[in-house]
Amino acid sequence: MTALLELEQVRVTGPHGDRLSALTLRLQNGERIALLGRSGAGKSSLIGVLNGSLPPVDGRVLFQGVALAELSRRQRARIGTLWQDLRLIEELSIGQNVNAGALGRRRLPWALANLLFRVSAESSRSCLRLAGLEESLLDDAGLDRPVGQLSGGQRQRVALARLFRQQPDLMLADEPLASLDPAIAAEVLERLLTSDEDGRLRSGAQAVVVSLHRPELIDRFDRVIGLRAGRLVIDAPAEAVSDADLRDLYAP
Amino acid sequence: MIGQLRPTAPALALLPALALLPVLLVVLSGAHGGGAEILGAFLVGALRPSLDPALLKALLIALQVTVATALTGWGCSLVLGVLLGCLSSERLWVTWGFPQWPAIVLRRLLALPRSVHELIWGLLLLQVLGLHPWVAVAAISIPYASLVARVWRDQLQSLDPSRLQAVLQAGASPMAACITALSPAMGSVLVSYGGYRLECALRSATLLGVFGLGGLGMDLELSLKSLQFRELWTGLWLLMLVTIALEQGLRWWRSWAGQAQFGQRQVLVFVLGVLLSVALGAVWLDQLFPEAGALNWLPVDWPDLNSLQLAAQELPWLSMLWETLALTLLAAGIAIGLPPLMLLLTPARFWHRCVSGLWVLVRVIPPPLAVLLLLLSNQPTLAIGALALGLHNSGVMGRLLQEGLELQDDSAQVALVSGGASPQVSWLYGLLSPRSPSHLAYGAYRSDVILRETVVVGLIGGSGLGWQLLESLSSFHWAAVVLLISTYAVLTLLGEWLSDRFRQHWLQS
Repeated sequence: MTALLELEQVRVTGPHGDRLSALTLRLQNGERIALLGRSGAGKSSLIGVLNGSLPPVDGRVLFQGVALAELSRRQRARIGTLWQDLRLIEELSIGQNVNAGALGRRRLPWALANLLFRVSAESSRSCLRLAGLEESLLDDAGLDRPVGQLSGGQRQRVALARLFRQQPDLMLADEPLASLDPAIAAEVLERLLTSDEDGRLRSGAQAVVVSLHRPELIDRFDRVIGLRAGRLVIDAPAEAVSDADLRDLYAP
Repeated sequence: MIGQLRPTAPALALLPALALLPVLLVVLSGAHGGGAEILGAFLVGALRPSLDPALLKALLIALQVTVATALTGWGCSLVLGVLLGCLSSERLWVTWGFPQWPAIVLRRLLALPRSVHELIWGLLLLQVLGLHPWVAVAAISIPYASLVARVWRDQLQSLDPSRLQAVLQAGASPMAACITALSPAMGSVLVSYGGYRLECALRSATLLGVFGLGGLGMDLELSLKSLQFRELWTGLWLLMLVTIALEQGLRWWRSWAGQAQFGQRQVLVFVLGVLLSVALGAVWLDQLFPEAGALNWLPVDWPDLNSLQLAAQELPWLSMLWETLALTLLAAGIAIGLPPLMLLLTPARFWHRCVSGLWVLVRVIPPPLAVLLLLLSNQPTLAIGALALGLHNSGVMGRLLQEGLELQDDSAQVALVSGGASPQVSWLYGLLSPRSPSHLAYGAYRSDVILRETVVVGLIGGSGLGWQLLESLSSFHWAAVVLLISTYAVLTLLGEWLSDRFRQHWLQS
């Protein structure tokens, strides 16, 4: 069976040496993967390789059997990322930022219309609802509010809604809980991982990879990938990862 | 799917380009058969400029006149402007223990010289002082000094007063307190804004030449009027070289001064440079015009109230004002909307470099020359003036936009590309969107400049207040001249007030 995403002997270099070394991985449909490691272990680099923003110097990356560099725009849109710094467009409204998630499937006229009019308000609203933004911001006036006026938690939800609007097959989230208080972090994780009774993610994605700085959350995942100095040191089902494994992973 | 109109900053940066539609419609429908041939000859001239040694010698002398005029005018305006800016700052008067009303009166008085374009100053001074190299210098210095004074005063007033108060309370004299507390911030204003004004001074000195005040502009106009396109291009290439060298020099200076550890030393070097440029420019002009002699005041018959009333009844106010405002709106639309539109066509790096070259060309060609060029293949209409003025200012706006985009953080663009957005769309959302509020803020300021500059194309294109002003000046109809200049002053002050409001809005958004 073709893997959803496949990495073979991937190497990524940075100014201070290898950021990822000889990394080989296969991600399958239906997996919820936690990506662990200390700061600088290569988690963000791996997310960058998976979404194509950080091309490897060696090795190859295949998405549904096609090399990442050869993906069409529409195929590329099937990999969505919740960025650590969110990368919202401050000058645009909530609704326009959410709609920016759909730009991979749309052409320039729609993109221009989104800057001029209130476009696809219902789609934005349903994504924002799925992301957990409060109802008071879901009316027309709320959708027109610039994201610059929102709190940190609200901004996180807008970024999450943009990811849902993209309707990706593979969702990547780079430290999505890093700057959130525990209650909001738990809810954001819940919304990323929520699945229907048949086990499918409610967002419609087939798999999700979340990089975490808190290893105590791994019981919410099916599989754990642990990186240390750019090398794969753990790749196991979540229930098989022991406290000792985690201590070793985070040891100085 | 599409709901109410909710234009955002990037859309508002692109929408003004719609002004191109009516303008191009009129220009293209007015083009005559021989136009294409003339345009072809003009374009071929770019590739084969004349290299005749006699012409090169004459153009180099003319270029020296333009550069010396710009340098002297710029230096004088900075020295005067900083002085007047300090005198019109309420904060400084209060620091010295004086009442603040003299500053307020001076600030209001300075609005008048600022509201009159340097070309009008040039033509007026030409009438009362005769042809003299210092006429062009004075024409640049007068409005520029009051512009510098305004910016200087506004910056002084906007600084946090607590530092100044702290130094005063420590027992420092007012002079020592101002130097200690205000000069670090004001030094960077002087360096960045002062450098920008030198670029403006070079453009103004060229423009004044087109209207007979000496320098390269005059040679360019003569070459164009006699259809000597190869000669015209020799002059244009020379001017472009000087412009690019100046802009690159200033860019290098800004980055050096910005990175330098001892900022005060850089400011001191800059101040010495300004003073030196005044002295050097004056000596240079003296060398270039050894027989110029002293300035003589020629008698002017100032109009009485009766002749002013008569002139007011004669002038076609409605059409003049309408044409001036239409010219401003159309040209401002082109100047604001065209740069982002050109870059949006394709985000390819090569194309952006070509566009960057185009901006150099259109900002080097003075608008009246562009009007004359267009008139070779077209009928005189308001659209011709709007196109020439709009393109010239696009050159200024386009350069600033591209410089800003180069410094823009591209993380949002990278995110959009990785999500499958096309290069065009990711450029529009990821780079232009964050940059558009500052583009619109500068566009508001530029619209104010364009309103002032309508006089320049009006004089040639036969439209608006500018054309009427030229007619009145050439017939020594001083009553009409006074009325027209006063009207221009009121219009530009209103425009300045409006553009200030828009600028504040976009800078705070």
